[in-house]
Formats: sequence, structure tokens, C-alpha cells
Amino acid sequence: MNKQTQRRTQRWTWAVLVATMTLNLIPGMGPARRAVAALTSAQMVELLKLVDERQKNNGDWRAAAYLEQKEKDKVDTVYETEYFRRSSDQKFMILFTKPKSSAGQGYLRIDKNLWFYDPSVGKWERRTERERIGGTNSRRSDFDESRLADEYDPSDEGDEKLGAYTAQKLMLKGKPGQDLAFPVIRIWIDKENKNVLKRQEFALSGRLLRTSYYPKWKKIYSPSKKGDTWYPEEIRFYDEVEKANQTLVMIKSVDPNSLPQNLFTKAWLESKSR
Amino acid sequence: MRAWLATLGVVAQMAFRNLFASRLKTIIVGGIIFFGGLLVVAGNSLLDSVVASMSRSVIGSVAGHIQVYNAKSKDTLEVMGRMMMGDPDLSQLDDFAKVRDSLLKVENVKSVVPMGISGALVTSGNTIDLALEKLRSAVNARHDAKTDAQRVEAEARVASEKGHVRQIVSVLQGDLKNAKAVLDERTIDPADGAAVNRAASDAFWQDFDKEPFEALEFLENRIASQAADADLLFLNYIGTDFQAFQKSFDRMKIVEGTTVPAGKRGFLFAKHVYEEQLKLKAARRLDQIKEGTENEGETIATDPDLKRMVRENVSQVREILLQLDAAKTVDFRAKLQRELGSQEADVGKLLAAFFQTDDQNFRERYDFFYKELAPSLELYRVRIGDVLTIKAFTRSGYVQSVNVPVYGTFEFQGLEKSTLAGALNLMDMVSFRELYGFMSGEKLAEIQALQKAAGAREVSRENAEAELFGSKAEDAPAAKAPRRIEATTTPGVAPVMRDLGESLGGKLQREEARSRVFPADEVERGVVLNAAVILKNPKKIRETIVAIEAQGKRDGLTLKAIDWQAAAGLIGQFVNVIRMVLYVAILIIFLIALVIINNALVMATLERVKEIGTLRAIGAQRRFILAMLVVESIVVGFIFGGLGAGLGVLLVSVVGKIGIPAKSDVWFFFFSGPRLYPFIGTSNIVAAFAIVLLVSAFSSFYPAWIAMRVTPRQAMQEEE
Repeated sequence: MNKQTQRRTQRWTWAVLVATMTLNLIPGMGPARRAVAALTSAQMVELLKLVDERQKNNGDWRAAAYLEQKEKDKVDTVYETEYFRRSSDQKFMILFTKPKSSAGQGYLRIDKNLWFYDPSVGKWERRTERERIGGTNSRRSDFDESRLADEYDPSDEGDEKLGAYTAQKLMLKGKPGQDLAFPVIRIWIDKENKNVLKRQEFALSGRLLRTSYYPKWKKIYSPSKKGDTWYPEEIRFYDEVEKANQTLVMIKSVDPNSLPQNLFTKAWLESKSR
Repeated sequence: MRAWLATLGVVAQMAFRNLFASRLKTIIVGGIIFFGGLLVVAGNSLLDSVVASMSRSVIGSVAGHIQVYNAKSKDTLEVMGRMMMGDPDLSQLDDFAKVRDSLLKVENVKSVVPMGISGALVTSGNTIDLALEKLRSAVNARHDAKTDAQRVEAEARVASEKGHVRQIVSVLQGDLKNAKAVLDERTIDPADGAAVNRAASDAFWQDFDKEPFEALEFLENRIASQAADADLLFLNYIGTDFQAFQKSFDRMKIVEGTTVPAGKRGFLFAKHVYEEQLKLKAARRLDQIKEGTENEGETIATDPDLKRMVRENVSQVREILLQLDAAKTVDFRAKLQRELGSQEADVGKLLAAFFQTDDQNFRERYDFFYKELAPSLELYRVRIGDVLTIKAFTRSGYVQSVNVPVYGTFEFQGLEKSTLAGALNLMDMVSFRELYGFMSGEKLAEIQALQKAAGAREVSRENAEAELFGSKAEDAPAAKAPRRIEATTTPGVAPVMRDLGESLGGKLQREEARSRVFPADEVERGVVLNAAVILKNPKKIRETIVAIEAQGKRDGLTLKAIDWQAAAGLIGQFVNVIRMVLYVAILIIFLIALVIINNALVMATLERVKEIGTLRAIGAQRRFILAMLVVESIVVGFIFGGLGAGLGVLLVSVVGKIGIPAKSDVWFFFFSGPRLYPFIGTSNIVAAFAIVLLVSAFSSFYPAWIAMRVTPRQAMQEEE
């Protein structure tokens, strides 16, 4: 190989190297790296199970939640609530405690039924999983245990930087026969500690409905689980249809101890307003 | 003067001679003018009659002559439906009494009615939910009974409601069997089947009274969720003062029940809404078939709509079956077997056969349904005397429910069949204010206190990721970025939380729905969205609008007043659109007339150059020639335009005696009754003549100008 051929080969090598590096810098354009980083279906399901497992309590749960909804040109909607859940039969209840006008209202989930109770009129109404809790942009499932692995089928969308964090991005499609608030979700999971950082929630048509952020996670020792249970201390929902609307949920005063047996009944919720 | 008249006589004589000489041209030109005259008189008279009728509908049903609302509102008030979805964004009028006092200072104002227009959903759950709600209420009544008499009464109610629920469960069991026969069994959840079988078993009902609330929860959660016939009802309503409303809108009459007593909560259904949306569908369809066959001359055999209704009645007997308990089922079976001469035991099949009506048996079946079957059925989802729960998202975003007793139904005389006039229900002002959710100072302070205690900071959408997850990766290496995720292990946390047994208290509005009487002062000195104004002299609407706004300014109120047509929104604009179309049509016709007359006259002038030249040679002035031609076209216009206008008057007079029938619900509203009786307006006849003469005169100017330039020499050259 003469010197001229050698120089030409060197120049080509450099050119290919630079082109490869450039392509790798553009998200989604690095085939070699994607091939290495892509998760198998089993790995993705495992990851979702891990996310679910960290948030599972395997017992009863009671917490206070502050809900605040901001809408353009409107007075803020604010609630203080307590919510209760039982892992064994997936029962769930939210009780509104403040403001006075909403005190005693509540949602109760038993089996596949989500009931809403308004003590001022003494009526129960059946609702769907798409119900906006108290008219805010939060849904019942936002307060429940994470069941992503049971409810959705994942597909890998690679890694993505989210501020200071590196997140695993997955696209989740609802499994058939599930009554879900959102049939399609894109989720960002912190690669380091497997907490959810961000979610984009879509309608079946593919329209983006809501973007959610989970900036603060806390853990609490759960006697029923005999281990730590993680919960988001703060969730922020940004409405993607009515762009000016946003909802804040702050979870505090968590109690993972056992609750009375008769708690998840219509009679109990009614008794709160007697 | 005498000379001038003599000249005019000669000119007119010549004009007539010329018109007769060229008859074909005269007939063509005259025909167009004739049609134009007819259209101006008949079209305008018809439209004026519709406007007058519609104004009676709008003014008499909801709008009044003038509507008043807050001038600071973002949207305009539209009381009868609007272009955009949802309620218009209106600023409130804080104190109705103050507004009323201000308006009554204006001389022409007769009365003022407080109003607020909104809408809300009424959800009632499915048939099983409704039956279980009654059973739960009966069980609660038995539980709370204090005397033996109360206990016995409650026990009877429980037994009756149990029978009904049992019957519904047996229908559901039948449905499940049918579903298994037509569907793949794997698609049916075995747990659902097992739950229905348990609920249908004797053992379940024998044990019901041991743990009634547990049994109820089982039925509500495992059985009711399997029925999917829940209805959503959207009700539009006006919050108002019933007494003032009824006094000011004298076409309103109560059909069933009574009006809401002063100071009480209450709801009046518009009769149209009550029939269309709350009546048992099979019964409503029977009413419609009767209306079609007896009043509109249709037959089931030929009318596709009536055929469809018969088909739907045959296939949708389930809603009746779900209303029957065991005793009613036996009763229905016996009655239907006798009526149909059938031995069929299945009531569902008997009902389907019964509803298979034709033109021969319809009337007999209709009478039988109302005489024999209907008394055992709940014909309406909400009965007069029931308490209706209405839930709405308030203006501030909170969900608010109120219980309002239903006192009756109403309609407007002459507008019974109109969907538009019958679309709005009436509600008391106190309940309206609660549902609309005007934020009180006390509530606002409570919300602000809650926000302060929570100490939440606002994070804008644009900065959310940067603020919540630290700075961007390229700006700060991940390792150095502040990590906001906290990992605090707090074993056995003992939060300070409310005791679970503590009651949240709160006054139950349901208990005071019927009993509480609000003082007149509380009702009147409250918030309203708008007010209807009735005038002493309706002809002075414009002047009164100006006076109202001026008086408002003097009293420190920002009032905006609009007439009934503007307040009617889309419907008010409809007449303007039709009028515009008519004017465009008239304009086009007269433009064509103008061109044709002009052309015809130009041709005629060129043909008459010799004659005109001769006239000029014997001393006729240019003025004479001009007059001759203009008079010629005015004569055509006068005669044919007059004939057209005359025919228009005749047509409108004849139709005015017979009336034009309203063919649909919408036309009932526009005609303010079943027929429109058009009338002639003098102004329309004057307008027709004025337009015709103007167009005729105008179209003769150009040919006259050509004629004026003809000289005797030209005429002689023409001869050569």
C-alpha cells in the first residue's frame, strides 16, 4: 500500500467515524447503540414488575392527599382528602374532608365498580375509571397501587435524559379487557432507582391527553409487606387538551397499618355524613 | 300648467301607442316587473308575518321584550341556544332587587323577571341500580323505624322491592342464558354467571334480612354492574322566580301538578322534555304512532318512521320486563294471553307479539296498553312529586348537587309542539345559584387558607422538567446535579390523622329540599345572570333599551340591554338570514329587469330613429323625447308592477284566511302555533310600487339619452 492509498484510507476511516458519532448523537439514529441497549420483552415486563413491586404495600393503606386544580380565569379548585386502599381485593376509597362544601363526598371502588357518593343529596352514582376526581385532572388510578405489568404491554423506546436523570422510556399499551383511565401511556423510569419520573397519557386515537411528573418519591416501612413501600409525594398533571389547566397532588401522612374490615362499604361512607 | 298637462297627455298617449305597437316586448318586460312586484309584496308580507309570530313565541316563552345582563360579560347573552357549545360566559348581576328597582324607574318597563340559564346532567344508573336504590332506601327506613307502624310499613316496602329485584335478576339470568347460546362461552366471565345464579337462588333471598347491607352491596357491585341500560339525561333550565315568571309570561300554563310555591325549592319540567326524554320509550312510541295515524293521516303500512317505531317496540320489551315483579308478571301474562288469544307463557314474547301492531289493530292495542298495562308501570323516570337530583360542575369547577322536588310540568299555549319553546325547564333561583356555584367570600377564604397551609409552589408547564428534575444534562453533569428524590425510611410511621369514626357533619340539603321556605328577601337580594323585561308599549323597544342602559349608569350598574331578537341568539338570526336571501332574490330580479328593459328600450329607440327625428323636426324638444320614453317605462312598471303587487295582496289575503300549516316542531315555533296566518303590510305595497317605478324610470335613462341625441338630419339619412 503506497502512502497516497494509505492517506486516502485514513481519510475514509475518519469520515466514517465522524459520521457514526454524529448519528449516535441524534436521538433514535444510533442503530449500533440501540441494538445493544434495547430491552427484550421479558426484560421490560420485569422492569414494570419491579416498578410495581416497589410501590406495592401488600396490605392496607391510608394517606392524606391535597388536590389543587388551576384553570384559566377560574378560582382554583382545592380539596383535602383521605384515601384508603386494600391490596387483597383491590378495594379503594377517597373521602373528601375539605372544603366544607365537599366534605363527606367520596369515591368507593369495589370489584369493577367505581361509586361516587354525595352526602348533600344522599345519592350514589356509578362512575368509570375515566372519572376526573372532584373535577380535577387526576384519576382514581393515580392514587392506587401501581399495576403496570398486569394492565399494559410494553415496548422499548430507549433511554432519554430527563433533566439530571437518565430514564428508560417505554410505550405501554393497555391489555384487552382492562378498564383503564388511559389506554396508551409513555413512561419514563429512572434507570437508577426504578421510580417513575414522567408519564404521557394518550387516548386510543393517539391524542396526547395529559403529561404527568413525579418529582418526589418517598419510602415508608410497611408492616404488611415487611419492607419499604415507595409512594410519590408530589404529582403534577398538565392538561394537554386544555393547555392552561394543571393539577397538583400532594400525598402526606401515610399510614400502612391495617384498617377496619367494614371500611370499604357504602354504609361506612354514608355514616361519615350522618 | 295647462300646457304642461296637455304635453303629458300627448306623451302618455304616445307611450300607450308604442307599448301596444310592440306587444311582445311589453309582455316580456312587464312579466319580469310583474314577478318582481309579486315577490316584494308576498315575500315581505310572509316574512313580516313570520317575524311577528316568532316574536310572540320568543317574547312569550322566555325572552320578554328586552333582556338585561351585565355589560362586563365576555360573551353575549343568548337565551335560546348559541353558536358555541356550553354556557355563555356572563358576569353576574350581584343584587337582583337593585337591578329590578333600577329597571322599574324606566317609564315603559312593566315587569322584570330574574333569570339564569344553564344545564346539567342527571345520571340515574341502570334499571337495577334504580331498583336497588329503592330497596336500600326501604332497608334504611326499616333500620331507622321508631314506631311499630313505621316498622310494618317499611317491612312491606322491603318485601315489595325485594320482589322487584328478584324479578330483575331472573330476567338477567335469562339474558345470560341467551348470551351463552349466541356468543362464545369463553367471552362470558364465569364469575358473573355465578353471581347471577347466587342472586337468583332462594337461599340468597331467605338470608337477605340477616345481613341486608351486605346482600345489597353484593347486588349493587356484582349484579347491577352487569346491566348496561343506564340513561344520561341532559337538562337545560332557567333559574327564576316562578311567580314573577308566570305573571309576566302569560302563555305559560301548568299541565300537570302545581307551580312551585313562593320561596320553596322546586323544578317544573317543560312538558315536551318530560314526554320526549322521561317517558317509557315504548309508551312514547305508541303516542307518536297515534299522533301520526290519527292527526297527520299517515299509516303504519306506508310510513317508514311509524314502521320503525313498531319494530323498536317489538324488539325493546326488556325495559318493560325489568319493571315487573312476580305478581305483575303473572298479571301481565294473563292479560296479554287473553288479549292476544295466545297460550304463550313467556311475557317477553307476549309483549313482543302485542307491540306487533298494524293499521287495523293499533287503536285497540293502544287503548289496551294504557287501560290494562300502564297502571302497573312507571311511565316516567321521574314522577311529579319525586325529588330530582341534579349535579353540575359549578362555575368555579367544583361539583355541586342539589335535590329539587318536581312540582309539575308546564307548556306555553300555542307552542305545545315546539321543541324550541319546550326545551327549557324551570328551577327555583336558590337551587340555580347553588348549581351555578357563585363563589362566596367565605368559601374563597377557606380555599385560600387551604392553599396556604399546603404551601404548594406553582410550576409552569414550560419550566416543569427543568424545575422538577434539575438542570439539563448538557449544562450540568448528572453526577453533580441536585437529586430531588428523597429516600427517607420512616419505619412504623404514626401519622396524626383524623379518627376514622369521626363524622364530617355538614348540613344535609336532602332533608331540607321540601321543607325549607326561603324568605323573599333572600331570593330577591341574590345573584342573577340576566333578567327579562316586559314592556308596557312593545313598539318602543329601541328607546327603552337606551333608557335602561342610561338608568343603569345613574344607579351605578353596568347593564347591557338587548332586544328579544338579539337575545334569541341563533333563532333570532334565522329571520335575518331569510330576509337577506329574499332581498338578494329581489335585487337579482330587478337587476335582470333593469338590463332587459334597458336593452328593449334601446332597441325600440333605434327602431324609432325616424319617428324621433321627425318629432324633433316638427319642433319637439329633447325634454319631450326624454319624457316620452320615461313615461313609457313607468307605465309598463305601473301597470305590471301594480298587477304583480295586486296578485301578491290577493295571494296573501287568501292564504291569510286558510293559514299555512306548521309541518314540523321548528315551524310551530316560527309560526307561534299550528298555522301561520300571513297579513298584508301597507308598507310592503308602497315599497313594491316605489321599487318598480324606480327601476322602470332608471332603466329608461340610457335609451332616452340615445333618443335625445337623434337629430332631424339623422332621421332623414335613415330614410335614404
